Amino acid sequence: MIGLGIILAIVLFAVYAATQPTSWNVMTQYCATNQTNGSAPQCSLGFPTVCTYPVGSPPPGPNCYQTPTNNPSDIAPTWNSHTLSGGPLPLGALTINPDGNYFFSTYQGLLRGADWSLIISVSVVAAGALIGLLVGAISGFMGGTVDESIMRIVDIFLSIPQILFVIIFVVVVVTVHPTLFGLGAVPSRMLILIVGFVIIWWPFYARVVRGQVLVVREQKYVEAAQASGASRGRIILRHIIPNSVYPVFIQLSLDVGTIPLFLGSLVYLGFSTIFPSPYFPEWGSVTALAVTNLQGFLVTCQVAPGCVIPWWQILFPGLALFMYAISVNFLSDGLRDALDPRLRR
Amino acid sequence: MRMWIFIIRRVILLIPVIVGVMTITFALVSALPVDQQLIAHFGQPGPHDLWLYNPTLQPGQGGCPPAPNTHTCSNSFYYNAIDQLGLNQPIPVQWGVYIYHSLTFQWGTVDNHSTAADVFPAIKGLPVTTVLSWYLPYTLELAALSLFLILLIAIPLGNLSAVSRNRPVDQAARVLSFSGFAMPSFLLASLLLMGFVIVIGTASHPAWVSTTPWCPSGEITFSEFYGSWPSALCFGSSSIYPTWMGSGIHTTPTGFPTIDALVAGQYWLSVDTVIRMILPALAIAFGTIAVLLRFVRNSMLEVMNLDFVRTARAEGIPSKTVVSRHAGRNSLNVTITVLGLTFASFIGGFPVIEYVFHLNGIGRMLAYSIQQSQGTVDYGLIFGTTLLFTFIIVIANIIVDVLYAYLDPRVRLG
Repeated sequence: MIGLGIILAIVLFAVYAATQPTSWNVMTQYCATNQTNGSAPQCSLGFPTVCTYPVGSPPPGPNCYQTPTNNPSDIAPTWNSHTLSGGPLPLGALTINPDGNYFFSTYQGLLRGADWSLIISVSVVAAGALIGLLVGAISGFMGGTVDESIMRIVDIFLSIPQILFVIIFVVVVVTVHPTLFGLGAVPSRMLILIVGFVIIWWPFYARVVRGQVLVVREQKYVEAAQASGASRGRIILRHIIPNSVYPVFIQLSLDVGTIPLFLGSLVYLGFSTIFPSPYFPEWGSVTALAVTNLQGFLVTCQVAPGCVIPWWQILFPGLALFMYAISVNFLSDGLRDALDPRLRR
Repeated sequence: MRMWIFIIRRVILLIPVIVGVMTITFALVSALPVDQQLIAHFGQPGPHDLWLYNPTLQPGQGGCPPAPNTHTCSNSFYYNAIDQLGLNQPIPVQWGVYIYHSLTFQWGTVDNHSTAADVFPAIKGLPVTTVLSWYLPYTLELAALSLFLILLIAIPLGNLSAVSRNRPVDQAARVLSFSGFAMPSFLLASLLLMGFVIVIGTASHPAWVSTTPWCPSGEITFSEFYGSWPSALCFGSSSIYPTWMGSGIHTTPTGFPTIDALVAGQYWLSVDTVIRMILPALAIAFGTIAVLLRFVRNSMLEVMNLDFVRTARAEGIPSKTVVSRHAGRNSLNVTITVLGLTFASFIGGFPVIEYVFHLNGIGRMLAYSIQQSQGTVDYGLIFGTTLLFTFIIVIANIIVDVLYAYLDPRVRLG
């Protein structure tokens, strides 16, 4: 119930982010007009990077705010709890380069990141589950050589670490095809990323479904359907799949929370190819940037004692990511209780 | 006798899996431009090797083309390279050559212009397998330590939370398990590192350093908690690493840092290496502990309701003995199954953790080989690391299967 509530809140937040007047449509428009004369460095990849621009130049748009001073540790949250107003940087900001000339508003990053996180993880999980469901059902129902060969293929995919497969897939495909099907930089990069995740993700579902189908296909109603002359396709689609789908739902709801963590790990490792711009707004990526930034601060603080450690940089994105993943886990736990017939009392 | 047959059958069944993984990596490698494939395999060309790709000349003519470069016969290098990789042959032949190279550990060469070569200049132009063999032992030690921590924490805690079901201990274990699922590994590792640096480093740093036998001169706070070894300052007035350590990158003679330190007689250094591994090992273990905890608890709950446990209780055997001797046996099977299932993601956590803690393992190598900040991406290292990780997982799966069959006779007989 708690999980459902938090997820609902996140979805609402994503919808809110998408309908904001300062949403990325405005930025895209802004970039489209300013890209040609090179006055907006953040538009260089065709995507509105949230808030990177040098101090001294005018603020590029409604999304970005200038640093108050050049001292990076001054970029504290401007949230005022008495007046309940956000100010220009409600959750603080990250410095991007050592001089403190560039910074990244955490609030804007989370605002833009909510919908990208949801889009990426939901589409990966949905496509993966669909493929895995079909392949697993066919493999389990057919049995024999078909089953054996499909399961060997599944074994192959399961013995590559997911994070490594995504890395090599994205590296190679982006090198060979920087853009796909004449799409822009952002959609084609997202497509490559999602396809890479789906390729390594479906075997998990296939294995889960197959295990369930092996139980379901021995049931009386399947035998009855066979006796009444139903075709194989009909039996798989109407009888096998609906009755073996519940473990997929559980696994699926878990994985929605895992994918942003993976993306964050990749960004943290410095794998810049994964997103179209280095400061792409996605929750995992925002958290990874915050962690990298804060570690830089700790090294600096060793030489300069008494410097303020900017805890807010890591707290808000980390909390957002953690809440998102843990709420998905609660949801999955609830689904298991609700769907698993053995646990029903 | 049956056990041997079972093991041999498992090993034979794993050959198609290994070849399949190589086929996937081959599909990706062969999609790369020819120049990139050549660099990934042979490294950057030397000063006299002309590698400009000239599509008008038919590859496979061999020897020198009637080149505009009159002074050297450099293009032959290029065509020899293409011949060796079979790139002028049909795809199945290329596939065969790739599989042959992968199985014989010819995994390519480190690119001179990559970020990894920039960060570790010692590996420039070396074969990938050599480089990985320097870094693998550290990763193996770290993996062994974190597996030990997993077993040490997850099994007793799972049993405990099953015995005291829905009591505070169980709830605490549940929270731990859920946060293990939801915590990004890089965030957890960084928080651990920063927490220790801030709390211990600032509180007790001066006193502590003066008492450490292995670093009398002291080192900066941060490098007391990260890095594979103490900073170079700690090795006496000459400020260099001991010669057996090979400029701080890899160690000799065995490659395992702890054992090498013992062999060289530097006992404190060996202890220091293990101490430095504890935090990263905890960070790696956390995700697997979360999974294993749930499974051990649930299986324990099932077993506790079975007849033989009730009989044992009725016989008046102390509750502690019932849990540890009768019901607890079962958690070993569950542990092995879950470890087999999650081993791929366990291994996948190494790059992040080693990168956070600056540990010289293959994961850190991978992290630098995918970066473009100070050079290019290193395809040779990336694909080599992928193959190595896959081999580790496949071998671990064999071990898991054999252990499982050893513990549960139904598996090998059935």
